[in-house]
Amino acid sequence: MKQQLSGTYYFPKTSRAQSVELLVNGEVVNLYQNHKCIMATNTSQLSVSSAIPGVALEVEFLDGGKFIAANSSDRLSLANGKIERLEKSVKWVLASVLMVPLLIWFGIAVLMPKLVTESVKHLPDVVAQEMGEQTFYALKKSILDPSEVAKADREKVISQWQQALDQLGLSKDKFTLHIFKSDFFGANAFALPDGTVVITDDLLISLQDKPDAILAILLHEIGHVQRQHSMRIVAQSISNSIIIAVVFGDLETVAELLVGTGAALVQNAFSRDMEREADNYAFEKLHELGIPATAFADAMQGFLDLNQAHADQPETEKKGLMRYLATHPDIEDRIERANQYGQ
Amino acid sequence: MDVDHTSKAEVQFNKVPVEFSGKGTEFFGIWIVNVLLSIVTLGIYSAWATVRTKSYFYGNTKLDSHAFSYLAKPLQILKGRLMAIAFFVAYSLVTSFFPIAGLFFSIALVFLFPWIIVQGLRFDSRMTSYRNVRFNFHGTYGKAFVTFILLPIVGMLTVYLAMPWVMKKMNEFVLSNTSYGEQRLSTYIETKQYYLAALMVLVVTVIGVAAIIAIVFAAVGGLDPAAFVGLSTAAQIAGGLVYFSLIFLVSAIFKVKIRNHVFNSSEFEDLAKFRSNMSVLPYFMLISTNFLAIICSLGLAYPWAAIRTARYFANSTQAKISNKADAIIDTNGDHKSSFGDEAADAFDIGVSAI
Repeated sequence: MKQQLSGTYYFPKTSRAQSVELLVNGEVVNLYQNHKCIMATNTSQLSVSSAIPGVALEVEFLDGGKFIAANSSDRLSLANGKIERLEKSVKWVLASVLMVPLLIWFGIAVLMPKLVTESVKHLPDVVAQEMGEQTFYALKKSILDPSEVAKADREKVISQWQQALDQLGLSKDKFTLHIFKSDFFGANAFALPDGTVVITDDLLISLQDKPDAILAILLHEIGHVQRQHSMRIVAQSISNSIIIAVVFGDLETVAELLVGTGAALVQNAFSRDMEREADNYAFEKLHELGIPATAFADAMQGFLDLNQAHADQPETEKKGLMRYLATHPDIEDRIERANQYGQ
Repeated sequence: MDVDHTSKAEVQFNKVPVEFSGKGTEFFGIWIVNVLLSIVTLGIYSAWATVRTKSYFYGNTKLDSHAFSYLAKPLQILKGRLMAIAFFVAYSLVTSFFPIAGLFFSIALVFLFPWIIVQGLRFDSRMTSYRNVRFNFHGTYGKAFVTFILLPIVGMLTVYLAMPWVMKKMNEFVLSNTSYGEQRLSTYIETKQYYLAALMVLVVTVIGVAAIIAIVFAAVGGLDPAAFVGLSTAAQIAGGLVYFSLIFLVSAIFKVKIRNHVFNSSEFEDLAKFRSNMSVLPYFMLISTNFLAIICSLGLAYPWAAIRTARYFANSTQAKISNKADAIIDTNGDHKSSFGDEAADAFDIGVSAI
């Protein structure tokens, strides 16, 4: 089959250029300048660029010379044009517009969380231990200060905690409770993946008369540890960054911002799911201990009162768009769920 | 400022067109199909997608009716990408699971960073050709370490007073180490212009923030944070728009001033001179409408935005080329390292001067 293209020939290793005609006849390739043959070679001596819509065909010769077609839609039958056909096909483009959002949603919201939850189960315990110990060390050096609560009050909480651990058959070596003063965290409690649980002075003081409420919060924290939530968050944020980087490798800053925001919203949604999971864990264990789940509602109410004391508007006013920025579910929802479980 | 340091008698400069011929609909097809193929191949195809996208933009950018070419091969990019991902996973795992050990990893990264920059710039340059002659990059690790690690520390120590100068040094490092074939790019960029741009940014920021505070004060009658929480969704969106407008305005001012200055003060001696006449308002409109379109279309307007941005850049650029353009020699070897480039992608540290 004979094919003829007009274009520009660039001589090897220089910027010298010449208008030429490229003729391909079977395996024979000839370059003509003003009807004079200036080069004769064959198809094994050259490589043809993969066809891309709107991009002129390029033919590279073994000696470093290069031919670029003048017309961006001219093609040689030597060129690989399979992908170009998809990119130009209305059917494929429409199918992609439908499939891409579906697949991204499926990957990030369904597939990855499943894979991550399964795979963190196989992480050796030593990882959680190291992670917990190192984080605890760093926190103690930075934002945790020695507790100022009376020693008797602290011992009361700790003995109640150990009693609960015994009743629930949980390891006292793994789950250790620590009390610290922290201006950074305010009234708060958190768990590290190795089972270290920390509660702050402020929270202890605000729930002083409600030991069951304190226990409810601590059980919620144990729920985070038992369900490997920290590990899942870490693994998920890593895998999401990779998915986004790989799929949208060429995005510009603005689009990156958008994708990044989407990923953060999804991440927060997971975080809210995990909080609910930990809440459920707390409800179940409270039930096992013979304490009504309303103890958890009391604890949440304590947070609400605390917030109200600090600001005129309670945190539950976080309506509208702010809801999607929250890492925790609505406090009133949580209170309601605890009350419902109680009944 | 116009650069005219070289006007030897035998060199003649001619004004040549700078064109971008890409089309939104055409690129949309390429983009969306490639994203689909990247997803169903679990990311492997993304290397091919990158090459096709770059080839599209390079091949549609024409200077003096000659197109640019993108030379990288997908397998090179794939190899680099896999290594970069492996490194990123190792880095993320260590810093999240072992925070203290991660600290040492971060310090090691400080020393790796200049290498990634140099490799990335070298790869980008060598994979770009014009009239069958490749670009090249000659920056060294030592200079990159000084420019991208030590100088920013100096900048921070001076409470950012030296930062405009540091940014000028960064641009200078990239520009003066770039060559087309054997021909080095000469640059005469001035520190003064960076301070001027920074000053404009500062003034606009102060005025903008003052305006926002005034509006909020008028709207809710005070600056008590509690008042914000009760704002309606519409008010939150409006607030977001004002906030993003200010960010886009500020970045448009800096980009336009610096790009114009860089183009007007850099040249390939005896070979090519450039001018850039971008102006702030059109560019601000361009990037803010791009942003809105991308958000409202849930990302589908990205190809359209990318194409019109490239067209705007081409239309704001003028070039003069001398009669020597026909005789540039390409002496580039075949050394190719794609790893630095992809690592730069994965860690999101693109270094672009223009």
